[in-house]
Amino acid sequence: MGVPNKELVLSDEGRMEDEEIEDFNGDASESESDSDEAGDVKLSEPSKNSIFNRNGLLDKLGDISWPENVGWIHKLTVDIKQEQEVDVNDDLAREVAFYTQALEGTRQAFEKLQSMGIPFLRPSDYYAEMVKTDSHMGKVKGRLLAEKKKIEEAEERRKARESKRLSKEIQAQKLKERAKQKKEDIESVKKWRKQRQQSGFAGGEKDTEMSLPFEDGKVFERSNKKRPGVSPGDRSGGKARQGVGNKMKQKKRESRNSKFGAGGRKGLKKQNTAETTNDFRAYNKGGDTGNKKRKR
Amino acid sequence: MGKKRKHSETEVAVPPKKDTIAAERPKRTLLGWKDKNEEVNKESDSIVFRNKEKVLVTCSRRINYRYRHLMLNVVSLLPHCKKDNKVESKASKGTTLNELVELKGGNSCLFFECRKHKDLYLWMAKCPNGPSVKFLVNAVHTMEELKLTGNHLKGSRPILTFSDNFDKDAHWKLLKEMIIQIFGIPKDHRKSKPYHDHVFVFSIVDDHIWFRNYQIAVPHIEADKVARGGLENMTLVEVGPRFCLNPIKIFGGSFGGPTLYENPFYISPNQIRALEKRKKAGKYAKKVKAKTRRKMHELSNPLEPDEFAEMWKE
Repeated sequence: MGVPNKELVLSDEGRMEDEEIEDFNGDASESESDSDEAGDVKLSEPSKNSIFNRNGLLDKLGDISWPENVGWIHKLTVDIKQEQEVDVNDDLAREVAFYTQALEGTRQAFEKLQSMGIPFLRPSDYYAEMVKTDSHMGKVKGRLLAEKKKIEEAEERRKARESKRLSKEIQAQKLKERAKQKKEDIESVKKWRKQRQQSGFAGGEKDTEMSLPFEDGKVFERSNKKRPGVSPGDRSGGKARQGVGNKMKQKKRESRNSKFGAGGRKGLKKQNTAETTNDFRAYNKGGDTGNKKRKR
Repeated sequence: MGKKRKHSETEVAVPPKKDTIAAERPKRTLLGWKDKNEEVNKESDSIVFRNKEKVLVTCSRRINYRYRHLMLNVVSLLPHCKKDNKVESKASKGTTLNELVELKGGNSCLFFECRKHKDLYLWMAKCPNGPSVKFLVNAVHTMEELKLTGNHLKGSRPILTFSDNFDKDAHWKLLKEMIIQIFGIPKDHRKSKPYHDHVFVFSIVDDHIWFRNYQIAVPHIEADKVARGGLENMTLVEVGPRFCLNPIKIFGGSFGGPTLYENPFYISPNQIRALEKRKKAGKYAKKVKAKTRRKMHELSNPLEPDEFAEMWKE
């Protein structure tokens, strides 16, 4: 691209003319004209009348520039070659290009500084005023942490969902297996009984037959728990209800409880209380038909 | 260059005092004690170069909050600048600014001009008689944005990186020199900090100058040596601010003077907005026209009567 108007008139006095408006009705390359965005509309053909006074520019350059033998340390400039044409509208590529330019530049600059022997890296105990205040950096940190937390939470939720699904499957399988096992056990006992019947109750030395149902090696084992069914908070140690499991007595207790327990039944004693005064749940069934928008 | 020019911002070594009273005392110069027999040649090559750049940063009235923050960011980045009050008046702003700069003893100026609360123009000028440039500023992101997470010492000298297309043409070269002088902090400035921990990026893409500011994070133990292999592990974090400059015109004088360069591709934002409005404005007229056209067309090409039109009529 560069500057394509090498054929323009070079004039010393400024003769300014506005660019033709009709030029770009069809030609103008449209990008967002929102001034926040990087793209602004550009003429696709250069205006014919713009000024380019090369000699004047070079003269001024000579005027303002520093003497040539000024050391590099005063200017601290590095020129980096742009590898490829970067498309302006591709944000990521553009930023990557700038980043690589900066990286390359600092590498070269640091090599030079290192060879000059000047201290150029900040020691870890050098505390001085920074360009952004500590409170601002605190906000930045807060935002970064919040983002990290959001990501982690999303991860955890996903994992929990997965594991729940998995565990449900496993449990379903286990139940199926147990049911199957139970069926098998019953079947084997039946078979054994039949066999025994058929062989006419011959002696009990037939361990081999008996041991068939238990071939898988699992003999009935009492569970290891010393006091099964005892909750940790039970101070009586599970002995409280040992003799109380009587069915009749339980039924009686339950009916008595429902009649007189926790303050007893209300019966027909009180029907209008503070809570029921404004309770119109039983009423207004279908009373909302009609114009809902009318103010009541 | 044949002869050395005296530049306004370079300070020559202290001239030897032609002190007739204390004739015995040897003259003291920056280069050491010299006997008054020897004449120190001011134009010798061992002149100490002192960068005495001083920038005046101002803005116009009715500036937007975002652009004001950008200006404040720039002020905090450049310790050799001085911020001044808002400048009124469209008409005589050139002379006003020149006077202001002279008053403050500066030799360049960054003037943020905001028009219509929407467009920001940046003037970069070398005063009193240097060239000046007017830019249109786009894509502004200030340092306060929380996505720009880097930080660096306030007033530390930056490393300036330029893309190589700054050397392609005369106007870019001039802009590069102006940028070096204005954005480069003078060495040994009293408000500057010693280490180099950030880098400015100026690159030309699509005929715009893009500016970025990155903090340099490199693993190191000593202050003057990078850890071995540290250069490979260097990372840059963006500090901000970010902006994009579109050069409009370069003038020979400060805030005025003969136009040296005009950007042929530049359309002012006013024209862009006018274009858009004009596109939308013709909608109704176009509709009416289209209707009449259709009518004429129908009249001139009448449809043949349909054979099945009467079919369902009783």
